Amino acid sequence: MNKDINLKDLWQKQQVSQPNIEDIFSKVRQFNKSNLRKLIILNLMLLATSAFIIFVWYYYQPQLVTTKIGIVLTIAAMFIYLFVQNKLLAVFNKIDNSLSNSEYLQNLIILKSRQQFLQTTMLSIYFIMLSAGLALYLYEYTSRMTMGAAIFAYGITGAWIIFNWLYLRPKIIKKQQSKLNELIAKVETLSKQLNNG
Amino acid sequence: MKFEDIYHTYWQKVFRLCMGYANDYAFAQDLAQETFILVWQNLAKFRNEASIGTWIFRIASNNCLRKIEKEKRLSKADLPVNLKEEERHSIEPEIQMLYKFIAELPETDRIIISLELEDVKQAEIASIVGLSEANIRVKVHRIKEKLTQKFRANEQGY
Repeated sequence: MNKDINLKDLWQKQQVSQPNIEDIFSKVRQFNKSNLRKLIILNLMLLATSAFIIFVWYYYQPQLVTTKIGIVLTIAAMFIYLFVQNKLLAVFNKIDNSLSNSEYLQNLIILKSRQQFLQTTMLSIYFIMLSAGLALYLYEYTSRMTMGAAIFAYGITGAWIIFNWLYLRPKIIKKQQSKLNELIAKVETLSKQLNNG
Repeated sequence: MKFEDIYHTYWQKVFRLCMGYANDYAFAQDLAQETFILVWQNLAKFRNEASIGTWIFRIASNNCLRKIEKEKRLSKADLPVNLKEEERHSIEPEIQMLYKFIAELPETDRIIISLELEDVKQAEIASIVGLSEANIRVKVHRIKEKLTQKFRANEQGY
């Protein structure tokens, strides 16, 4: 009994019905449509955020330049964060899929490590910009309050910022990291399978 | 080369590769479809520097490997063969066994043996996977031995 021919015969005996080629094309169309929808939603969100800030700017007519800088910082923070999360990461996620498996896995590891760095750094930048923006924005309005009220307002805001920085930010980072670390470890295992003779 | 021709020539081969990797009929079908979507999207970039077969098998196997990102379903080797589902697709018990045994191998070995059983030349497998031909030859030999052992152990079990 020749085991090779046996396995090959067995393998090639398996025939499956071929789905209609139109199925593939309709999947492509679906895929394109959902991508377009995501892009539209992202743009609408950015537009709505900007519109809201512009509305605040015109409606309340801030006098001090600090308030304006605060507004711009806040808006820019959200803008950059959304952009990185939705567009840049998608661009980063692309690898040439006609590489050999071992090159592909290597690239996947590099890409995931880069993504890890990008996410962590971006999140910190986001929180810093948002906090600074908020603090500056508040200045004009608190300067018209009594001393006690101003301290109270900044105290509350400061506490909120500290909570975000010390609790929320590390928690989000940890969650993202553990997910990515797990993935990187898995890809490394695959890569090792190839290299161990 | 026209996409329609590629699709007709390679569907079976790509499906079997995915099935060898996933051992799950519905999932393999999805993987194969995704592969052809990628092929369709990238066909303009294909420049004949590799053979079209190598190019397609690279895309197919990379797509399978990429699934570890979303994987929870791939540990099918541990599960008993789902008879009802398999019956619907009328897979012979021996072929089911073969898939089950292949699914128990490490991921990259699954790809190598699937290509070998598909009668892809070892030089081409080397270029798809990214190892030397000598390396592939050794691996194929070992994997076949492992599979044969599993079949024997299974026969003796009954």
